[in-house]
Amino acid sequence: MIAAYGLSKFFPIRGAFRSTTSLKAVDDVGLKIQNEQVVGLVGESGSGKSTVGRCLIRLLKPTEGEILFDIPDSELVEYEKARAEDATKRVDAIADRFSLLRRSSSELRSLRRLANIVFQDPYSSLNPRMRLADIITEPMLSTRFCTRAEAEIRARELLREVGLPEFFEDRYPHELSGGQRQRVAIARAISTNPKLLILDEPTSALDVSVQAQILNLLRGLQEKYGISMLLITHNIAVVAYLAEYVYVMYAGKIMEWGEKGKVLRDPQHPYTKALMSSVPVIGETMTRTILRGDPPNLVSPPIACRFHPRCPVAFEVCGWSAEEVAEDLEYLLAGKYYEGFGDAVSVIAEGERTITIQGTTDAERIRELVGLENEEVRSLKSVEAIDVSDGSTVVRLHEPVEPEMYPAPDGRQVKCLLFRPDVSPPTGNA
Amino acid sequence: MATVLEHKARFDELKLSARVFLANKTAVAGLVIFLVFMGDALIVQIAPGVLGVTYPNDVIPPQFTQTNPECDNMPPEPPSLSHPFGTFEYGQQGIGCLDLLQLVMKAIRIDIAIAFFIVLVGAAIGTLLGVVSGYVGKWLDEVLMRVTDVFFSVPFLILALAVGYVIGRTLFNMALALIIIWWPLYARYGRSLTLTTKEATFIESARASGSGRLKIMFRHLLPNVLPPILVQISLDVGTVILIFSTLAFIGFLPSNVLVPELGAIANFGLDLAPLGFWWTVVAPGGVITLFALAVNLMGDGLRDVIDPRRRS
Amino acid sequence: MSDALAIRDLQVHFHTRRGLYKALNGVNLGLRRGEVLGIAGESGCGKTTLGLAVMSLLPRNASIPGGKVIFDKKDLVNLPREYSERVGDRFNPKENERVLRRVGKAMTGIRGRRISMVFQEPMTSLNPVLPIGFQVAEAIYVHDPALLARRVLSRSKATPALLKELMALLVATHGDEASLRKFAAEHGLAGIEEQALFIWNRGDIHISRKEKAIRALSGAPVNRAELKIIEVVARTGSIPPQYARVPVLSRIVRRVLIKEGYRKARELLTSLGIHHAERVVKMYPHELSGGMRQRVVIAIALANNPEIVIMDEPTSAVDVTVQAQILELVKRIRTSVSASFIVISHDLAVLAEVCDRIAIMYAGRVVEVAPTDQILQKPLHPYTQLLISAIPTLEAKPVEGIKGDVPDMRAVPVGCAFHPRCPFAFEKCHEIIPIDLPHGNDQLVACWLYEAK
Repeated sequence: MIAAYGLSKFFPIRGAFRSTTSLKAVDDVGLKIQNEQVVGLVGESGSGKSTVGRCLIRLLKPTEGEILFDIPDSELVEYEKARAEDATKRVDAIADRFSLLRRSSSELRSLRRLANIVFQDPYSSLNPRMRLADIITEPMLSTRFCTRAEAEIRARELLREVGLPEFFEDRYPHELSGGQRQRVAIARAISTNPKLLILDEPTSALDVSVQAQILNLLRGLQEKYGISMLLITHNIAVVAYLAEYVYVMYAGKIMEWGEKGKVLRDPQHPYTKALMSSVPVIGETMTRTILRGDPPNLVSPPIACRFHPRCPVAFEVCGWSAEEVAEDLEYLLAGKYYEGFGDAVSVIAEGERTITIQGTTDAERIRELVGLENEEVRSLKSVEAIDVSDGSTVVRLHEPVEPEMYPAPDGRQVKCLLFRPDVSPPTGNA
Repeated sequence: MATVLEHKARFDELKLSARVFLANKTAVAGLVIFLVFMGDALIVQIAPGVLGVTYPNDVIPPQFTQTNPECDNMPPEPPSLSHPFGTFEYGQQGIGCLDLLQLVMKAIRIDIAIAFFIVLVGAAIGTLLGVVSGYVGKWLDEVLMRVTDVFFSVPFLILALAVGYVIGRTLFNMALALIIIWWPLYARYGRSLTLTTKEATFIESARASGSGRLKIMFRHLLPNVLPPILVQISLDVGTVILIFSTLAFIGFLPSNVLVPELGAIANFGLDLAPLGFWWTVVAPGGVITLFALAVNLMGDGLRDVIDPRRRS
Repeated sequence: MSDALAIRDLQVHFHTRRGLYKALNGVNLGLRRGEVLGIAGESGCGKTTLGLAVMSLLPRNASIPGGKVIFDKKDLVNLPREYSERVGDRFNPKENERVLRRVGKAMTGIRGRRISMVFQEPMTSLNPVLPIGFQVAEAIYVHDPALLARRVLSRSKATPALLKELMALLVATHGDEASLRKFAAEHGLAGIEEQALFIWNRGDIHISRKEKAIRALSGAPVNRAELKIIEVVARTGSIPPQYARVPVLSRIVRRVLIKEGYRKARELLTSLGIHHAERVVKMYPHELSGGMRQRVVIAIALANNPEIVIMDEPTSAVDVTVQAQILELVKRIRTSVSASFIVISHDLAVLAEVCDRIAIMYAGRVVEVAPTDQILQKPLHPYTQLLISAIPTLEAKPVEGIKGDVPDMRAVPVGCAFHPRCPFAFEKCHEIIPIDLPHGNDQLVACWLYEAK
């Protein structure tokens, strides 16, 4: 139904001197939704999931990447083959027909019939000065789906469809409760019989009992009309309820995706594992993997794997920078290992891969320290060699490797170097 | 059953608005005074005879000198029962015993009409430009901002006088000058309201539903931007009256133009007052001040009604 | 053992232009000493109002027609309640404001000191223009300057020799608090125990570093004049009046004590799991992440060793992984701190993690309260049952909503407020408000279904 390749969205930050820094909200995301399928996009705030949703429906223009819309499976296979072979002409030909990014504005207008979106906040997603009937008929009229008379009749049907009485058509949003407003938003979104519905946190602003009603409504509509849905949420239980496939996002990238049952019950990516263990479940005491630290700053995200600073099983090539390792080393030398080194030692990061420890030439001791601590302090795993030079100890780090989507045995894909086919599992893998 | 319930809900909101407004005593006083003025304006417009007003558009009724010869060179008389505001002498030709109260009643109608004309036209132009600029953004927005900056940096009295001297000093041109001064305020205000409203998700929904830019601006943005603008309009009427009566007072209109306008009348009174005829200045001036005060007090009450936090 | 806090039949009404909202309609709840009590409910049930009522932080248009909040044998709401009872229908918010001012005076020494509150939004409960350390220090300085004064004094009196002895004692007794306190008292070093123990208990530095740090406790950078005033503060708990009026001197002393507060802030923040606390105390709230801010707010709430801590939706504004951190933190502090906790949340799963007992609220009343396991496995009240079955779980079991809507609190249904939506309602439910009926083991449920026949 819709397929995104290499989708990126960078928001430029206006600095004082027109610098080119940008907020990399979405970075190289690939996503596919089949016909009549419900796909969940899970992530915490700042993961970029809402931005992905908005790009898919062309509310935002992606900085890079391709989105193919309403494309038959056979053509999609062709496209991917052509891409893999770098056959630009064939790629172009298919993209011309199906790419969402190459549509003119008038073509887009009729395409808007096929896709729509439901937002999180029921209080600001309805125009407070419009009657419900006008709110629901707007998509039909703007995309010239039907005449005004037909639209008004259909609006009443839609109200019934979402469980609201027909006479509500003359009411205004402020007369409705949160759950009722969300139903109106859903009615509006399905008014043009779309094939794709993007749901951006549809129940996060609602009470639990109301959420249940909306979830059942969505499930019912999906089964009745066979609409493909992209369910964007941070609530994993909601995803479990509605979705067939799950994509897990972190810091603008997809970490793992696959069938819902497998990903949620048997997470493979360290982030997904931590995420699943963080969700409090009634009746179960969780053994938690508590993540330290916070989600990263997306203006200058961590190099290589974006999750590596918080990952409990990070290893040599995950992307440790000299700064990160230097900070951890300094903390250890000033604290736990103070006795051996004292105050005369200072740790300086030089360049991307080298650290100089001034004031000591006891490379052996440092090596020992690293060996003892690198299970707890994962950054130390990136130490490749420790030598002495010029009266100081010099630490060299491994080259980081950018992780890609690697296939896991059960058919899912994981963006983690632990799953790289040619890498032997590192020692001490949790 | 349905419509009754829904009507009830909307009626309750209106009742609440009324209750909120009436709770503010000073606002109610302002409203009362404002209504008195509006009443005068309407009556003079429709049935001037009721108030004993003749020839509502003239300071001096035609052929007055012929019909009232005794008023030749008659000095102004102080307030009395027959002339509650006293009388007034039009200096140049020495025409006296012009009842000041009647004059003021005629002038109120003219003043209010002009004030509404200025504010409504200025607001219409300004708001439209502001909304379009706020929504479309980019270079259009920059241009508008710089243009309004220029207008703001010139002291308005001087600008008005300059415009007047260029296009001619008539009452209508004075109104025009003030419209030119007034629209940037509404452009800025409309723009800032647009900037906040356009972030709301119902605008994104409209885009996702295929609505074009024009439809979004007129169907979604404008109706939501209008209520605070309307409140601002009602407040500005008072300010504008003060401004253009000041203009008339300082002599914007050439002395041979004789219009019943409060500032102009006060301007004539300036010559008379030092001679001891204080009522010729105090009456028109006091009336202007009272009206401006009333509008401001009313505006406070209106703000209570509109702002959801002060409302509940 | 008596309850730490007892709420009896509390009623709170909000007088607004849109009508009279009956936010609390007779809440009965007891907080036992040392327990973590959860209050759950959906929007509009009154749980936040309850927290504010206990802290006497209600706005001026709130009247208290009846009920008591008993803390340490005192009724915290008797002043506003008496006013409401006196004026009845002629409730006037402006007059009430005067009453609230007297309440404010009565609550000094309780609010922020013996009962503290953690609010939902950490960004708005921290002052954005003051450093973190200052905000923590201020919380201590306002309520207990004597503590800060004692700490300064103890350091000024500690000689290196004494500290060496102290270190030896710590090593010998493995950081036993009681013997340390005895040592400090004997040598006139009251106030040093806290500081020494903090250093001792740090897990991330080597013992020789600890020794160095403890030796560094000797000497405080204050001069003789300041020292004299600080001594008085340590004894009496406030700056003596003759100095309080001298502007420069009192400011200097205040500065010294606030600086001491920064030191204590570092200790507090480290104990709550914030790394590099010495850097954090100088930072401003906007420089911290949401999880850190929430920890800071919790630190401020705990700074004065309160008896009761109320947390209003402590995890609603943060992500799931940060929420996990905060919940682990709460579980940890409850074992090390002797306070009782009230945790308010709409998320039953969060409460299930940390609470000993959970109370369910609906339309301004407590409808059920029981130990956590019981209430989640065998909920008695129909509302609780429906609420639990509405929560989606990972097994994707079918969820059921509750038909109807939360009632308009201006027109609460007669009898049991839940009866219009209850699948089991019968005649008595339409007429009489249910009373709390004991059932089973330590469980109270307000539902006529459980009336003993």
